[in-house]
Amino acid sequence: MLKTAYIIIFISLLVNSAFSQTDWVRWGKADYKYEKQNNFRHRNYGIESETVSGFISKVTANAYWFFISDLDGDNCPFRPSCSSFFVEASKETNIIQGTLMFFDRFTRDFNLYKRYEHYPRVKDGHYYDPVDMYKLEKDKIKYIPPGVIVSK
Amino acid sequence: MKALIIILLLVVSTAVKPQDKTFNFNSPQNIRKFADFLFCDKDYLRSAIEYQRIHGTPGDDTLRFKIALCFSRIKNYLDAIDNFSKVNQTSAYYNESTLEILKTNFLMDNYYGVRKYYLNEFVNINTKYRNEGKKLFNFSYLFTEDPLPEMNDFLIPFDENEQGQISSFYNWKKDPPYKSSLLAGIMSAVIPGSGKIYVGEVGDGIVAFLVTGVFAFLAYDNFQANHTTRAWIFTAAAALFYGGNVYGSVAAAQVHNVKIDFEYEENLKRYLEKHNYYTPNYGFCDEE
Repeated sequence: MLKTAYIIIFISLLVNSAFSQTDWVRWGKADYKYEKQNNFRHRNYGIESETVSGFISKVTANAYWFFISDLDGDNCPFRPSCSSFFVEASKETNIIQGTLMFFDRFTRDFNLYKRYEHYPRVKDGHYYDPVDMYKLEKDKIKYIPPGVIVSK
Repeated sequence: MKALIIILLLVVSTAVKPQDKTFNFNSPQNIRKFADFLFCDKDYLRSAIEYQRIHGTPGDDTLRFKIALCFSRIKNYLDAIDNFSKVNQTSAYYNESTLEILKTNFLMDNYYGVRKYYLNEFVNINTKYRNEGKKLFNFSYLFTEDPLPEMNDFLIPFDENEQGQISSFYNWKKDPPYKSSLLAGIMSAVIPGSGKIYVGEVGDGIVAFLVTGVFAFLAYDNFQANHTTRAWIFTAAAALFYGGNVYGSVAAAQVHNVKIDFEYEENLKRYLEKHNYYTPNYGFCDEE
């Protein structure tokens, strides 16, 4: 009985050594970072723009970022954030339409009721609400159902 | 001692019938067996590669069809159609391959291709699945903006138990539950937020009404109290929220209509997938 046990132990040791961990795949210390990725702190404050609308909206957004948002933190539940939405909307349309789009977005931002049933999300949990949806160009609207995770 | 005997027996039993060096893994029969295994294991890419290695073996008329099926299932639709169209007329799967071409066109969202192939070729060559082909042909109208055939003609190929669902798809296509952008805009211009409520965004509508109302009240109240500067600031804010809401209501109606189209197409595709695009079960694998 004892011999059987020795033999089994011997065979299992043999098998383990046959498939042992080799030197070149030795486990090392992983370089983990537990900090939350705060991309909003790495904003582009440049004011270069091809259009006057883009320039005005960018200067306004820069002022908002510098004096308020960077100090207040990343609080907008949407992606792009409301200020980025304003800049993008003004660049892609004009300053008047961009402003109207921004105020519509801002109003929707106040609505806390069942937002998760209306918007898809990006990986970090923010609601995905791109400018293309509201440019009044039906062909450019790409509907993404709520609950879908968008890789942006 | 007993343990040693058991180990000895195990070793001997593995040595009794070792792998035969003369065994030919690359014989057509063995490649076929392996390809069939991969096919049933849903490893369609490698299965197609294995089938292609032995394609041309005399007496086997299913290889081309199975290669095409593999391509279809890995969404390589062009190669799938190419292979389906090369299935020999004498093949047992000739009729099935023409039906699969219709299905593959559907999967490519090539609805005009479905109709063109059906009218020019399918009706002339397929004798077995005419009804199924006609169903797919009719379904293609539900995905395009072309005028629909008459309801009675449309429903002819469908079974009685299907006709209820198909006629609801047909009616939806004929009269989709769109919301008018113009009406939404006008409603929000009259009562802020009502346009959003009209398109189904009740929460956004109520919020828009409250925000615009509060700023308008603050503007009015400050004008009453002769705080002109503050009054004009609140007036501007109210005007911008009001304008944004009218604009947003028009945009929300458009988004709603796109959403309706999206959901309709999803339902149609789900229905067709449930019925496997009216293609039969070939029984190549047990679980199929």
